[in-house]
Order: sequence, then C-alpha cells, then structure tokens
Amino acid sequence: MKPYVKIILFIVLVVALITILTALIGFNKKHADTAKVRPDFVITATTLQKEFEDNETAASARYINKIIEVSGIIASTSLSDSAHLNISLKTGSDISSVNCVFPAIGDLSKFKPGDEITLRGECSGFLMDVLLKNCAIIAKRN
Amino acid sequence: MKRLFLLIFLLNILLALNAQKFMTKNGYIGFFSHTSMEDIKGDNNQVAAIIDISTGEMVFQALIKSFHFDRALMEEHFNENYMESDKFPKSSFKGKITNLSSVDFSKNGTYSVIVEGDLTIHNVTNKISTKGTIEVITGGINANSKFNIVPEDYKIVIPGVVRDKIDKNLEVTVSMKYTPVAK
Repeated sequence: MKPYVKIILFIVLVVALITILTALIGFNKKHADTAKVRPDFVITATTLQKEFEDNETAASARYINKIIEVSGIIASTSLSDSAHLNISLKTGSDISSVNCVFPAIGDLSKFKPGDEITLRGECSGFLMDVLLKNCAIIAKRN
Repeated sequence: MKRLFLLIFLLNILLALNAQKFMTKNGYIGFFSHTSMEDIKGDNNQVAAIIDISTGEMVFQALIKSFHFDRALMEEHFNENYMESDKFPKSSFKGKITNLSSVDFSKNGTYSVIVEGDLTIHNVTNKISTKGTIEVITGGINANSKFNIVPEDYKIVIPGVVRDKIDKNLEVTVSMKYTPVAK
C-alpha cells in the first residue's frame, strides 16, 4: 500500500473513532450533579421569589437554566405519584414559594415544615412559584 | 352600618366562592412513548392546577423545562429541538367537566367524568375531549386521566432521522391531588 493511502486510512479511522466516542458520551450524558457543581447564584428563597414577582422577564433571563443555591425555611413537603420529593420554601409571599423537586426518593421524614435548609437546583422558571429541578440538599440546620 | 353589612356580605360570598376552588402546585403530568427501539418517559411534578367544583372548570399550567427525563441528552433535545421551550416556556389546559351533575362533591367516592377544553402546547391550541376520574376524599379531590396526543398536531417537528424512535401517539398521564384553596 502506498504510504499516503496508509495515512488517509489512519486519519479516517481516527475521525470515525472520535465521532463514535462523542456520540456515546453524549448519549450517556448524565444530569449535572447539582450537589457537586459550583452554583451560579447563592440567594435566599425570599429574595429569589421577590425578583420573579417584581420583574418576571428580567428574573427569567437571569436565572433560568442556571444552578441556584437557595437557603430558606421549609413551608411544606410532598411525595408525588412518581416517587419524587417536592420541597417548598417559605418566601415573603403567602401564595408564592420556591418549589424544588428532587430526582430520587429520599427519607421524607427527615424534612419537616420549619426546617432551615440550603439546597441547589436548576431553575426552570416561574408559574405560581419559582420552580427548581434536579435539586440536591446542601445543608440542613436544626 | 349598611356599608358594613354589604362588606361582610360580599366577603362571605368571596369566601364561599373560594370554598369551591381546589388547587395543587405539585400536580403530575407525564408522557410516554413506546417503540421497539426505545421507551421515552418525561415527568413533570410541578404542575399548577385549579378546579372549581361549582362550575366544573379546570385549569392546568406546566413549565416545559420542568419535564424530567432520565437521559440528560433527551431532556436537552426535548427542550431545544422539539418544544423550543425558550420560545414557548409554558403549556396549558383550560376546560371543564361536561357531566358535572354526575359528581357528588359532598360524598366520598370515585366518579367517571368527561373533560373538554383547549390544550395549548408549543403555542398551538387544539380542542380535546378526554375521559377521567374524579375521586372525592376527605379534605381533597384527586383527578386522573390518560389520553393520547400526536406531536404533529402541535407543530412539534421530530426529524425523520429520529422519528421512528418516538411513538406516533404519545400517551399523556395526568394525576392531580387537589386541596382546598386556603384563605
């Protein structure tokens, strides 16, 4: 085989391998482990909710798709049908909270209304609450 | 004095009206696609929903970004390519129970209902009609329904290359646990 043919074959092989590897890595990409990723923002539940209430457009542009570390007091917890844990954090509003969903069932009895916690999650946006997903508990006081 | 009575009267009406409304902020909507190639499931546990038992009106709102998929890449494609969730962040349903008289909200039990209304996905609205159940329990109301939607009906474009990986019909499951609107 001529030397340049060998080189071309080698390059084609390398490109093919890189393509396959990239596809496999992408296919198997896991959700960010929010417990380990550095947060884009560190904020209280009250401040976060107020920003969305005061100016939803600006807050959406600032926070959606970002990892937010939120601290606050638990208003309520609930276990949904598909075995996910929801924790709502108190804010300055009676009707609007910061609503966080956790991907796997945890020990629900650990978390009670009145507990002070810090969690991290990815901001999805705002309905009646500020919605965070892919959440992880960072710290729990008392 | 008359003013005071009027105010109290109006307040009572408002309270009574609110006593007819039930809501949830952690409602569940999921969809499921089954093909021989792959099963895809998206779950949303942060659906906001209100039901008015005096009129049978039901309203649901869901953020597209709140749908969770096991595969991160699938979630990315869902948001960026299919649903374009940056452009169209919400999906909603506004409708009512058409056979409201067959539900006795004062008596615990399970009732079959038909719900009709406007379903908006990807900024496209279609009228849908679906069967479901209303379960009256002490202190709340549970609502459940399963129905199919066709992505193309909502101008959701799934490229030919992956079209076979996704079912022509998507099975949507709705499960709400409503509690009275607190005053």
